[in-house]
Amino acid sequence: MNDTRDYSDERLNAFIDNELGTQESDELLAAIAEDAELGQRLCALRSTKELVRHAYGHLPPARRKRDGGLSFWSGAMAASVALVVGVLMGWQGHSMAVTAPSDSVLAWAGSLFSQPAPTRVLLHLDSSQPERMEEALDMAEAYLAKASNARVEIVVNNSGLDLLREESTPHAARIAALASRHEMLAFVACGNAIARYRNAGLDVTLVPEAMVAGTAVEHVVDRVRQGWTYLKI
Amino acid sequence: MRLLQSRAQRALAGKIEASRGRLYRMAFAWCHDAVLADDLAQEALAHGLARIEQLREEERLMSWLFAILNRCWIDYLRVKRDDLDDEMLAELPSPLPGPDSHAELQETVSRVRAAVAALPVGQCQVVTLVDLEGCTYAEVAQALAIPIGTVMSRLCRARAALRALLEPATAQARLRSVK
Repeated sequence: MNDTRDYSDERLNAFIDNELGTQESDELLAAIAEDAELGQRLCALRSTKELVRHAYGHLPPARRKRDGGLSFWSGAMAASVALVVGVLMGWQGHSMAVTAPSDSVLAWAGSLFSQPAPTRVLLHLDSSQPERMEEALDMAEAYLAKASNARVEIVVNNSGLDLLREESTPHAARIAALASRHEMLAFVACGNAIARYRNAGLDVTLVPEAMVAGTAVEHVVDRVRQGWTYLKI
Repeated sequence: MRLLQSRAQRALAGKIEASRGRLYRMAFAWCHDAVLADDLAQEALAHGLARIEQLREEERLMSWLFAILNRCWIDYLRVKRDDLDDEMLAELPSPLPGPDSHAELQETVSRVRAAVAALPVGQCQVVTLVDLEGCTYAEVAQALAIPIGTVMSRLCRARAALRALLEPATAQARLRSVK
């Protein structure tokens, strides 16, 4: 029985979490064989661990949804967070299940960054799904409409490249119209994606409005570092 | 456009982006609010990407990201309570309502989440890092910038509190494991 008292809950936890050395573990196992109560304590702690471990397997989806939803990266320049949120909420009717951010998040964003800053938003499209292509353009247009000095870039990679390929885009006319209306809107294609398409034997002729970046990930990292707000479509 | 310094950093940027789901799960286990958790995970990813060159050892990527997530979470809590010091923070009652909205989940799952949500912030972070991510005590100590002894004592108090809150559930789990 003295053994039981020797083993604190901290030691038992350390055993459960594989933090004890081999010798200490062996000693504890030997003690458990002698002492049912110690075994029960250990068992209860282990059950607790298992319960926690299994309680977060299926989470409610993040506000961003992979398919057709919006993603939203508050980024370092969160003066634009309030705007992003505004746009998200504005789009709610238009676009599938988007949960409105809670008031606490709004208050948080607002209090963290009080000084106004120009809106700079990077929209990232990595899919050729028609509704996502459309959403990227809709989002860009919404930002540009909200703030006259906003800078918006749409960066595409993977099959998102189809948005900027003359061979595949259903939106060439809209892209041209948007670009001529908004000087601060840019379209950026991932150099890797272009190379992959060509390696696969596909022609890639970019729409005249498009620029090419080394890779999309680098471009995203650079923009985030410069304080842009990043949104994955 | 300035290129990332090395191929390794580019690969790392991809890995950081790929860890979004794990950051979201951890953030959710800390705040039990899907919207806030997504914000926290995004914030941590953005900070991580912006400071990629500070990460020296790639195998430490996740504990490094959890450390960033921890700072985002603490910043959020501080904004809500700007007079916090670390000691108070450890004992701060969880600021958000419990996960009432998950009624659709199995009863046990929602009870466990409610119990985790009811833990003081410091205990909640330790127990979720250890149990959900399998972090070692040393990794937790590093991610949360606290001594290992504090990790152990918080973990101990957290599991004791969870046991008390979940006694019937743990008893059932024991029964099942005996059968």
